[in-house]
Amino acid sequence: MRIREYEIPDDLLYTKEHEWARSLDGEVLVGITDYAAKTLNDVVYVSLPSLDQTLKQFSSFGTVESIKAVSELYSPLSGSVTKINAELTTHPELVNQSPYDKGWLLQMKPSIPAEKKNLLSGKQYGELLSSTK
Amino acid sequence: MKRTPLHDYHKAHSKLVEFAGFEMPIWYTSVVEEHLGVRHHTGIFDVSHMGRVIVSGPDAGKYVDYLIPTMASTQPVGRSFYTLFLNEDCGIIDDLIVLKRAADEYLLVVNAANTQKDLAHMQKFSGMFTTSIEEITPTSTMIAVQGPEAIQTLQPFVDTNLKEVKRFRHIESDILGSRALVTRTGYTGEDGFEIILLDTGLANDSVATRFWSELAQNARPCGLGARDSLRIEAGLPLYGSEIDETTNPIEADLSWVVSNNKSSFIGSERFQEASKTPPAKIRRGVILNDMIPRKGFQVLNKNDQEVGRVTSGTFSPVLRRGIAMAYLESAHSEIGRSVKVKVRNSHADARVVKPPFYDETKYGWKRITE
Repeated sequence: MRIREYEIPDDLLYTKEHEWARSLDGEVLVGITDYAAKTLNDVVYVSLPSLDQTLKQFSSFGTVESIKAVSELYSPLSGSVTKINAELTTHPELVNQSPYDKGWLLQMKPSIPAEKKNLLSGKQYGELLSSTK
Repeated sequence: MKRTPLHDYHKAHSKLVEFAGFEMPIWYTSVVEEHLGVRHHTGIFDVSHMGRVIVSGPDAGKYVDYLIPTMASTQPVGRSFYTLFLNEDCGIIDDLIVLKRAADEYLLVVNAANTQKDLAHMQKFSGMFTTSIEEITPTSTMIAVQGPEAIQTLQPFVDTNLKEVKRFRHIESDILGSRALVTRTGYTGEDGFEIILLDTGLANDSVATRFWSELAQNARPCGLGARDSLRIEAGLPLYGSEIDETTNPIEADLSWVVSNNKSSFIGSERFQEASKTPPAKIRRGVILNDMIPRKGFQVLNKNDQEVGRVTSGTFSPVLRRGIAMAYLESAHSEIGRSVKVKVRNSHADARVVKPPFYDETKYGWKRITE
């Protein structure tokens, strides 16, 4: 799906704060949406949690920064961090270039799978973007 | 919200934000690309929101000499210079560029957010002088052409050989049928020019639009985002961040604007007093090894005690590091000193530097004009 210039893959789940979650081998890959990346403009710095750190659904786990602004990152689910995208240390611009693929932030092992019901579908996230300026 | 004569172009090509009551472009494509475009080639900026005021009349020189701490009346015609408006307590009311057009005519370029305050300040002290004050902001257009290729970009529009216009000088020219002032100044640290089109403004924007569109064929339009990161990299203060009515020129490291032995300007008594003792705090540059400093962050000494505050911070696209301007306690302000900046829960290692942050043999106007 596409809302204005923003890409919204149908097979992901979303937070209202513009993170996405993708199921992958029993774990979940997390990133920020095309809308978030374009709104920030150039991502120049990404601060991520360490491996094994425990995250809580909708709690802050790091920051993504552009030249002008700092934006908090919120975890789509509760769980523990199993991988982080180390590539972003030297190439934070991947978040802009490829928000849903090479610009992923971290992988986590969810501890409460039922929390997925608190997330938005692609369609619902698209409606949220349609209603924002 | 107020608009500039180039609003239609910005609306079609940029992301717009509110700034000082104007709807202005924050970026066209990417702040980093625009920033590096200015450092390596040339960028163009719509700065029409800045306040432009003409002071003229028999006493114009005497009046301007009273308003600012820099000698104006003794400067040659054609000179452009940076200076400050001070209040009687030596606090900074605004920073500005003055263009001396004639012995009896000066054009002042002030910050958009301060234009009305500055006009009130100027009027308050004009009574003793035979002079007139005329704001020309809405009836003129101002565009900055900045970067090492600025001369090549601008030369086709101007008859005068721009290589002969020295830094901090200006000429008058015709540009596409409008009278124009072309001053070799800017807010990026790079070589470049600021052009004031005197006959094209909001109500009559065709020459401004044509000039901008033709410039844009050879130079990259830049928004306020790049304007801010470029001026931080160059170490140039921003009103409201580094300077305001609670800071004086000595603390701001701007006392060089005060001409030697000049007295009898607004704020001069307090300036003389303040000059007798070293300032408690001073504006410095701070460069980090990792992480990005932001306005309000604390600067700490090696014992984690606060010794200063960041006033502007960003990521430097040239250095690929976090950089900041900060006020530091004088005892902790020497160049090269190791400090830390508190970035959220971390203490980032940092070093005190004297801006500009970049290597002046590789970037900045000195490599072009000196």
